[in-house]
Amino acid sequence: MADVILLERRGVPSASICTEALKASANAMAAIQGMPGYRYAVIPHPVSSLGDDEIAERAKLALPQVLDILHAKVEAP
Amino acid sequence: MTQEAPPARECYEEADLLEAIERCFDLGWTDGLPVVPPVPNLVERFLSQTSRDPNEVIWTMSQLRRACTVELAAINAAMAGCRPEYFPVVLAALEATIDEGQPGVGGWQSTTGGGPLHIVNGPVRTELGFNCAGNIFGPGFRPNATVGRAIRLIILNVYGIRPHELDQSTQGTSGKYTLCIGENEEESPWEPLHVELGYAPNESLVSAVHVRSCEFVDHRHSAEPHHILSDIALTISRTGTGAHSHMRAVVILGPEHAQALARRGLSKQDVKEYLVEHVGMARAQVRALGRSPVSLTQAPTEEDRPGMFAPTVHHADYEDDGAPDEFLPMIAAADDVLVVVAGAPNAGVSAVGHPLGLARALPGRAMVDAPMSA
Repeated sequence: MADVILLERRGVPSASICTEALKASANAMAAIQGMPGYRYAVIPHPVSSLGDDEIAERAKLALPQVLDILHAKVEAP
Repeated sequence: MTQEAPPARECYEEADLLEAIERCFDLGWTDGLPVVPPVPNLVERFLSQTSRDPNEVIWTMSQLRRACTVELAAINAAMAGCRPEYFPVVLAALEATIDEGQPGVGGWQSTTGGGPLHIVNGPVRTELGFNCAGNIFGPGFRPNATVGRAIRLIILNVYGIRPHELDQSTQGTSGKYTLCIGENEEESPWEPLHVELGYAPNESLVSAVHVRSCEFVDHRHSAEPHHILSDIALTISRTGTGAHSHMRAVVILGPEHAQALARRGLSKQDVKEYLVEHVGMARAQVRALGRSPVSLTQAPTEEDRPGMFAPTVHHADYEDDGAPDEFLPMIAAADDVLVVVAGAPNAGVSAVGHPLGLARALPGRAMVDAPMSA
């Protein structure tokens, strides 16, 4: 989350993908980086134990969110 | 309880003590246990133990933009219940923890949820009363209990790495309250850790290793070195630690085990080399665990920027076509094993600490400054 926000600050359009289970720390980090409420793609947990097909399903869920985030205007503070 | 502001010196009269303890809870400044309210004259007594400027920054966590100064360390050491004269050890413990390299790469936020194991060596152990013998991991000794706790309070209060927020621990470990031991130099058959690391016997050192847990090895039925060390190797090899082809281990030998090994002529280096040779498992067993793709990867290269996650990269094109009975070692080199001697010489009991990944240093280390009054 910190990396993505730092990239945004440098003007690089960025999107972060996070699982449901890790939202609390993602939100905390966004607040620390001065962007509370920073929007990111959310997919179900887990990821690391999935097979190739299940990973592809996760990617299908993430992709429209990522595109939406990249197309939205984000004002870096 | 979410923290509202970082700890600061609060002004309280003695009669307000109970209220002050509760106020520290309300402000989110605790690890769940009561803290000593950091009243100004107490914090001053800590700062008087060092020649360092209270405003000196010890370390900044760049991704959080939070820094610990000498004064903030003193405040948290006071809250942890340290005596002021422990403060130089607290500073060294913090610097050793930083020196290891884990905090900079997210070790404090890891889902496996470990924390620093601090090992104290040198004269400061006996001067301040660090427990090096019976019950090293247990309660009863103020320096062990409070120096480790001071570092945890700094992680919680100064860096703001709190559970359910930035600390992503799935289960954590009780060692996150405190995990600080003295080496039992007096009953070790070998040179103490700080001398092995190049320091003089009369210097005091704190070493730090981020461990995910410490696990006992009960082996009191034989004094044969290969029996003792095979038992320890089995404990390290277990899949719970990761079963990666490149991992590290901390071996905290009880004096009885250490002396049995030394009596048969083994040095600390011999112990490390034995473990390099014997820690691992058969390929078939790694397969049975479904770990082949993540376990049997090459060592991280310079380009990989060796860090905690380098060895866990999934290599989709990895061909696991070796012989089932092939032994796959898990520790690459003797320098990936840390051996210390601690505990009472009353049973064949040792412990294994399971580090997180491949940190920059094994162990992190920092010398303890001589007290101002010396």
